[in-house]
Amino acid sequence: MSLALEDFLLRDLYVLVISTEHYHNSERLKEGITQVLTIINGQHQPWVNGQELLDDALQNKSSLPTGCRRIDVFLHGGLKKGHLTELVSPSSSGKTLICLRAASRVAKGWGKIIFLDSGNSFSSKRLAQFVTQTSDPSAYEVDKALQQVMNNIVCLSVFDIFTLFEVLHQLKNNLISQVDQHIRMIIIDSISSLITPILGGGGAQGHALMVSVGFLLKRLAHEHDICILVTNHMVAGEKGTSKPALGESWRGISHVRLLLTRDQARNISSMSVLRHPHMATGDRIEFEVQ
Amino acid sequence: MRILNSFIRKKKKNHLEEQYRIYKYQIGTNFERENPQMEVSSLPISASLRAKLISAGYSSLSSLLSASCSDLARDLKISENEAIGILRVASQRKGSERSNGTSSIVNGAQTAWDMLNEEESLGRITTSCSELDDILGGGISCKEVTEIGGVPGIGKTQLGIQLAVNVQIPMDYGGLQGKAIYIDTEGSFMVERALQIAEACLEDMQEYHGFLKKDLQACQLNRKPEDFLENIFYFRVCSYTEQIAVVNYLDKFISEHKDVKVVIIDSITFHFRQDFDDMALRTRLLGGMALKLMKLAKKYTLAVVLLNQVTTKYIEGSYQLTLALGDSWSHACTNRVILYWNGNERYAYIDKSPSIRSASAQYSVTGRGIRSSVSNCKRVKMMSRVRIMEADTNACIKLDCLYHTPWDAAFPRTRMNV
Repeated sequence: MSLALEDFLLRDLYVLVISTEHYHNSERLKEGITQVLTIINGQHQPWVNGQELLDDALQNKSSLPTGCRRIDVFLHGGLKKGHLTELVSPSSSGKTLICLRAASRVAKGWGKIIFLDSGNSFSSKRLAQFVTQTSDPSAYEVDKALQQVMNNIVCLSVFDIFTLFEVLHQLKNNLISQVDQHIRMIIIDSISSLITPILGGGGAQGHALMVSVGFLLKRLAHEHDICILVTNHMVAGEKGTSKPALGESWRGISHVRLLLTRDQARNISSMSVLRHPHMATGDRIEFEVQ
Repeated sequence: MRILNSFIRKKKKNHLEEQYRIYKYQIGTNFERENPQMEVSSLPISASLRAKLISAGYSSLSSLLSASCSDLARDLKISENEAIGILRVASQRKGSERSNGTSSIVNGAQTAWDMLNEEESLGRITTSCSELDDILGGGISCKEVTEIGGVPGIGKTQLGIQLAVNVQIPMDYGGLQGKAIYIDTEGSFMVERALQIAEACLEDMQEYHGFLKKDLQACQLNRKPEDFLENIFYFRVCSYTEQIAVVNYLDKFISEHKDVKVVIIDSITFHFRQDFDDMALRTRLLGGMALKLMKLAKKYTLAVVLLNQVTTKYIEGSYQLTLALGDSWSHACTNRVILYWNGNERYAYIDKSPSIRSASAQYSVTGRGIRSSVSNCKRVKMMSRVRIMEADTNACIKLDCLYHTPWDAAFPRTRMNV
């Protein structure tokens, strides 16, 4: 007789032990069962108390700057490590720009960034502009500093959800096996364009994939103190209003959800909070687009 | 003796099998330790196969890898071919997971510094209108998807044909020397018009050639306008299914024709605006198509140009013109250019771009194709940038506006004889 892992999960353990009695090798089976049970019990994560959580938060989960002072002040320091931050906005209201700005700022003195691009919109030229804007004027130094900063940003094009999974799993393995990679931030611009083609259509698979991407991201963020920034678009809601895409089940996934709007005529953008662990919904600032 | 031989052989075989099993077990356990949560749900396989896998107990990648294809086929009640397919996908995934010997944190990634150096050498396709090229940063960019929209009659198709011709301008003239794919969904591609534009383009090239050689007699170019037409691959599409099929086929086609540098779809909208009740399905199909086009642009370093129609939308109490296909689609392109009328003049406006600022420029559609429309006041401005080329033997002075970029030079604009 052999036992599958399924037996342990589905059947009553007592009944399982009894059922082995009929077989000639019942002793060995029983031994095996206890062994397997200890392995299963060893799988759970260690518990932590509130004090430890707070220490971890204060020590490892600091904030990273976004490259825009007003946003940093608004968000109490910027984008928090360990959080999944989601930027929602209509088309061409500056999501990619904010991502590039944050990347340029974090790459300059904080650590490495992985930029996953699904819309061929990663503009290294624009990025270089942001980096040199705040640098010292000496030409040679600028070039050297630029190279250093730009080498901290790694970009990869991702055109379907399965590639995204592959990349994230790869990243997870590399983060575990190689001690300190100084990866501080992962940017996915945009996650909604990867998920939209698989959602709906009756099957639940797309849904399952979306949720597991969300959890994988959150896990990466939490375990390796990485700040994750993803962008989402808007779709038409009821009565001519618009709402963030990807629906209700995605809504619960991100820690922070920020809505970005842009007034074309005045060239002013505004950011408001849709969801935040400790800020009130509806808090809002305006800032100038550069 | 024979029996003994076969016995030995059998024993050898058993031994090999045993070794193989041990080996496989080792890989499996190592893999298991590294990837405790690798689930089959993240593999690119169909939903029904995935459900069968999970219900048969294959929930992790490692359990899948330790199975043979015949076991898998039996357990899942599927054909061996399908089982082989699943195993191939799984082993590919595993291969990519384990090949972390390189220094990069994720395979295939590029640093921004490398990309910056690459971006500078990236070609652009001129629109033949210097003002439009200026605001586009030199022309339509390769590796990006550019959406061009506007009301009927504004010149979308004209611009499309112009780009299909201009992409073929030889390297010596600052062009890309590529070929074009033209996907026509509306039946608006006119071959006579393409010939006209090609002739005009060739004339411009010859003129430029004359300047280059400092010789009044236009040198003979060994190209005919018909050659331009030969390098435009034309697909006529009559339904949205055909459109999806063509987009799927493009990858194979371009891998066989690597010199294709532009893909023009005129228009992306047409078939998707009719006979569509299920809007969610439309969003899904368009989203998938957009990603495929993005992938093409990146993989083969080519420009994708999507022409789009306009529609009215009810915003804040009034009807306004916007591009068709809705909000989700508006995220599907890298750059967006909107063509519009301003009085009797045609203008182009950059509505979206990650790298260039919003700006508008005037252009015109002439018999020779898209050209800059330099009105009188503009001409004065341009005169200040005029440089004197060189006096020739006839004491005829050619004036020509300054060339900003190599591809700009392909089209001398304001030329006068004094």
